[in-house]
Amino acid sequence: MKNSIRIERAIKNITQQELAEKIGVSRQTINAIESNKYVPSTVLALKMARLFQKKVDEIFILEETD
Amino acid sequence: MESSLLLPNRYKRLGFIILVPSLLLGILVRFFDFQFSFLSLSFGKSAFNTKNIHLDENINLTDELALTGIIIALLFIAFAREKTEDEYIAHTRLESLKWAVLINYILLLLATWLVHGFAYIDVMMYNMLTVLIIFIIRFNYALNRNKKITE
Repeated sequence: MKNSIRIERAIKNITQQELAEKIGVSRQTINAIESNKYVPSTVLALKMARLFQKKVDEIFILEETD
Repeated sequence: MESSLLLPNRYKRLGFIILVPSLLLGILVRFFDFQFSFLSLSFGKSAFNTKNIHLDENINLTDELALTGIIIALLFIAFAREKTEDEYIAHTRLESLKWAVLINYILLLLATWLVHGFAYIDVMMYNMLTVLIIFIIRFNYALNRNKKITE
């Protein structure tokens, strides 16, 4: 699974730290998700989608290997 | 997501404050036969001593004090909540614990075959603490590694 959080962040012009604070997680978590090392829970994915005003599957995209 | 069984974040610092003197005391006891004289207990001639059971008449509790301090300190450090304890931290915590248990038993197996006689008692002594120590190192390494890549 890949995600477009880094791009969405750039559009909204917020840092990892700011995004982390807005959805109540640590900065490491955002970093781990962006670098595809950690797959977030549904709750966290929904929170991000709400913040970016996108659908979850517009931010998180399944890959062939999934 | 609230993870249970964790202590408040300040216990991490408290753990280190307890660890330093306890570890020093432990080293003094282990390698220099240090004892606090006020921690000596004497039971006199024990009525329980028979030819099969021998209870020490005099014991000193300095080593008990040192080990208790070290274990409590390591538990505080290992089980203190991170400032932002979220699902990824919980995931890393569990991963590190899994890792620590595995490495610990690999080391124990190696030591079982390589260390013999009375030295093996030392192995068991250190082995009481290695799960927690390996966990603390692995967990903090994993979190810090992620911090650095961030920028």
